[in-house]
Amino acid sequence: MADERLTDRLDRIINALVAGGDATAALRDAEAAPLARVAADLRHYPRREFTTQLRAQLEGRARMATALAARNIRAGFTTVTPYVWVPDRGLADFLVRVFDAVETSVADNPGHGTHRELRIGSSMLMIGETGELAARAPMRPVAFHVFVEDADAVFARALAAGGTSLGEPADRSYGERSGYIRDQYGDHWYIATSLGPSAVPEALRTVTPFLHAQNVGEYIGFLQRAFGAVEEARHEIPGGAVPYARVRIGDAAVEMGGPADPMPGAYFLYVADVDVVYEQAIAAGAKSLSPPAVRPSGDRIAFVEDPVGNHWYIARS
Amino acid sequence: MIEAAQADPARFLELYDRHVDRVYAYVSRRAGSRAPAEDITSAVFEQALTKLPTFEWRGVPFAAWLFRIAANALADHWRREERNSHEPPPDVPDEREQYDLEQRVSLFRLVDRLPETQRQVIQMRFVEDRSIRDVAAALDRSEGAVKQLQLRALENLRKGMGHHG
Repeated sequence: MADERLTDRLDRIINALVAGGDATAALRDAEAAPLARVAADLRHYPRREFTTQLRAQLEGRARMATALAARNIRAGFTTVTPYVWVPDRGLADFLVRVFDAVETSVADNPGHGTHRELRIGSSMLMIGETGELAARAPMRPVAFHVFVEDADAVFARALAAGGTSLGEPADRSYGERSGYIRDQYGDHWYIATSLGPSAVPEALRTVTPFLHAQNVGEYIGFLQRAFGAVEEARHEIPGGAVPYARVRIGDAAVEMGGPADPMPGAYFLYVADVDVVYEQAIAAGAKSLSPPAVRPSGDRIAFVEDPVGNHWYIARS
Repeated sequence: MIEAAQADPARFLELYDRHVDRVYAYVSRRAGSRAPAEDITSAVFEQALTKLPTFEWRGVPFAAWLFRIAANALADHWRREERNSHEPPPDVPDEREQYDLEQRVSLFRLVDRLPETQRQVIQMRFVEDRSIRDVAAALDRSEGAVKQLQLRALENLRKGMGHHG
């Protein structure tokens, strides 16, 4: 072996190393040992195609984050705020009775119905009451995950306020006690108390929109490309269904599950640069409902429809 | 730099350039193979970008913050793989490991600066796990010449490390 050339001895050591084999014998080869130590570390050398590609991905995300980073978001609001369309003020009354919602603002817009804003715990909700326009503006019932101190008590209040049970309160395997309610307009309210250390899980606020999609994996891909969503949780079951996933858009959490019949709703998306986010959404496969323009409210807003039918009001306030 | 990145996410790339090899070296040591090491490294920087606004300087170095995210990402990975499911996340590097990691980061940068053919040999042998015969065919050289290049590359790296450490 002493006669064997260093190039060949080293090559055998490297073959053993990359095969995950034992190269300790190399340490007895005084000439090869220092090189073998370097070789052992080289097994951890990162693929430069990988680090370059990851850099490009992060660059896209960072650009999107800049466009999303609304610095003047209205007090109490987050990047995503649900906008629920109903014919009358019955929903607002329901939310006040059931969740102790507080109405923070109301505006009658002749010819456009009533715009109402309510605070529920740490979350805001906007309601569009279509009034006499109801026939032209069909309801868009949506689903919400609401965390409360006592799910059983709130569930009982929801029934008393005219809700229909979709599932009695029970301890769920996913770490909460929850009961499911459908209100008179068809919205779903998943009323929950976390079984963890605090009633509201750390990652969430009081109210989180819960989107339904036939193919959650594909839909998350859309939200990532369109709005820079970041996937935070995904529970996949054999066969590929995703009964639960959570993404973050800006500073707001959005939950989803499927396959389920879509419940396309409407959501305000407060961003720093409406045009950039609008273009990105269209490029990702959203349909334009109305390109960016300054609206009568004074806000620059664009309207798009995503692949599962949700409407997004991309706004800079 | 961190404050600049918090104010302007586009500046995050400077932090990425500075730390990606360090995080990869930490993860790679524990991930078992290349594919999970890359997945986990991606997850670490995706999360770091998301959580950057919550980073608070309080004397904690940025690298330590990244290692903490990486430790949790490794634990998540193991949970998904259903092994070690009850084990706590791995430790963030102690002083000894930090020294080793810095050595590796220096080594990786030396590889990037090797003469091109030597760098290609290292890339094909260690990253792509290709045989000498394969590398020889790809570079249109004899096997003996490739072994020679391999030796030369390792000697250069060792010399470079000597100067570093």
